[in-house]
Amino acid sequence: MNNTMSDKNILQKDHLVPLLRRLNKDYRMVLPVRNSSGDTLFAEVETLDGCRIDLDSQTLASAKHYLFPQLETLFKYRISADGGYSFEPVCEAEPTIFFGLRSCDLAAILYMDVIFLQKTKDPYYLQKRQNAILISLGCTEPFANCFCNATRSGPFLEYGFDLQFTDLGDRYFVETGRVSGGEIVRRYSHYFTPASEKDSKDQYQASLEARGRFKRQVHVDQATKRLQAEDVPESIWTELSLRCQDCGGCAYICPTCTCFTIRDQPCSAQEGERLRAWDACTFAGFTRMAGGHNPVQHRTQAIRKRFLHKLLHDVEKHGRSSCVGCGRCVDMCFGGVDIVRCVAMINELQ
Amino acid sequence: MPYRLENNSYLPIAATIEKILVENSQIKTFVLSFNNREFNESFSYLPGQFMMVSIPHCGEAPISFSSTPTRPGTIHLSVRRAGVLTDAMHELDEGAVIGLRGPFGRPFPVDQLQNRNLLFVAGGIGLAPLRSVINYCLDQEEGGYGQKLILYGSRTPDDIAFAEDLRAWQQVDDCRCMLTVDQGSPDWQGNVGLVTTLLDAVDLDIRRSMALVCGPPLMIRFVLAKLSHLGFKEKNIITTLERHMKCGFGVCGHCYMDDKLVCVDGPVFSHADLIELDVLELRP
Repeated sequence: MNNTMSDKNILQKDHLVPLLRRLNKDYRMVLPVRNSSGDTLFAEVETLDGCRIDLDSQTLASAKHYLFPQLETLFKYRISADGGYSFEPVCEAEPTIFFGLRSCDLAAILYMDVIFLQKTKDPYYLQKRQNAILISLGCTEPFANCFCNATRSGPFLEYGFDLQFTDLGDRYFVETGRVSGGEIVRRYSHYFTPASEKDSKDQYQASLEARGRFKRQVHVDQATKRLQAEDVPESIWTELSLRCQDCGGCAYICPTCTCFTIRDQPCSAQEGERLRAWDACTFAGFTRMAGGHNPVQHRTQAIRKRFLHKLLHDVEKHGRSSCVGCGRCVDMCFGGVDIVRCVAMINELQ
Repeated sequence: MPYRLENNSYLPIAATIEKILVENSQIKTFVLSFNNREFNESFSYLPGQFMMVSIPHCGEAPISFSSTPTRPGTIHLSVRRAGVLTDAMHELDEGAVIGLRGPFGRPFPVDQLQNRNLLFVAGGIGLAPLRSVINYCLDQEEGGYGQKLILYGSRTPDDIAFAEDLRAWQQVDDCRCMLTVDQGSPDWQGNVGLVTTLLDAVDLDIRRSMALVCGPPLMIRFVLAKLSHLGFKEKNIITTLERHMKCGFGVCGHCYMDDKLVCVDGPVFSHADLIELDVLELRP
């Protein structure tokens, strides 16, 4: 074991699969995998044999559901005959390496950290998060709908990753971010060699060139400024709302949408589970109270609320938009009620 | 690998209904104590805060304290029938066990109430959280509170809730209650009209007064406007809002009001806090 590994190293491309195989012996692994339908999705990999790792395509979904499952049991409850009411929490977590996260999806995890780990921490998220090692792959070639440059969440990040990989053609440049990343490089040091000055220059060059390769220009900051100036008429929201079909797809696919509902699921007269499930603020029942009062009028106000949350309120609360520029809502929404269109409509106003 | 979770804020604590006070046909006050005696003794809260109430198979709902921490040993949650959970709660008997999580929320700014005249304006179940702060103030002689005026509107005379408290408050020096109903009845001798009509009779020195308001959203909107008109500064008008809530501590996202969360930044807000927000329901 080499104790003098630096925080910038090289992994030859033909060492990648052997490294992943070795890591798989010690950790649960989640990687972008192309399935038999030709879709690339993050998947838990039991064995790398016969596994089609795909580092060239955008995964159809982010890795959000590994830290924040779509459906999760919080606890089991039981009512006993003598009038007792007891609760038994349920939480599963396992040390897991996430490999091949794009910068946008990693930035989204950093946003989820802000939401779930406030003064009162969400213990279910915390357990999974503390057990996660995040190895990202910066994007040398942004995908069709990407605009992470506009949201400052890519194509490369300065921090937040445990390790950040850059594809330099025949080799990967591997930067250590957090301590767990450094530990991986130390423990498996024989797969890595220290990076040279030329390697660092090549990485810098690749990250610069990536910035010039975006196919879309989405002026998020400009839209935020117009919203701050209250310079956006209701007609924009009416127009967008007309095309919303209430499917919730945007919220489900968005890597930074973290709203959830909680409900009891009875299993018998005496037992049940309290579950949480993803929710969407565009659903009519999101703000509706018992008795029927709803402070948000569903049709126009819900869509407005969603975009104001992403483009204005999160800027005011957290200092930056919560959109990470992954572009997935563009393909998801068949009504075209995506954030790219919204930003364009806001900016087109005279 | 299963984990034992420390500090799990989603986990309810068992509490027993010691007594049920029927306030009217829609509202019951549940007097509760936690089953774990040590926990019950160390439990603390402030007026304006709320608990997430678990009823078996029904999930949870946020209910404000209607009791004051100056009278410890039990807590009161006054609940109006409105849906599945509250209906189920109303079917429970004394001795039944429910689940409670909390306390959550930002309380009434009780420090700011000292040495002030206090105007309380309540509509319907809105009197419940105000009952907590009214009794808190009445229990604290050293607070130096001045005149106390309680204005309370109900739909009909039969809907008047907290009758025992109203009688008790009327007996206190420097404390006056004025009631009104939207719709009278043959026996009703008192005021008829919305609670905003009672505001015309307010004779407090407004510059040395704080107003606390709670009721249905429409009522809050009109009362806040009228209080501003009477000369109350926006920072001296306090209200408490309701929202559909799931977690109670700022994670689930249901209670967002612009960038504020009603469960964490509220439910108590001043009119000044609300004017800055884009909350459409409070715009005239």
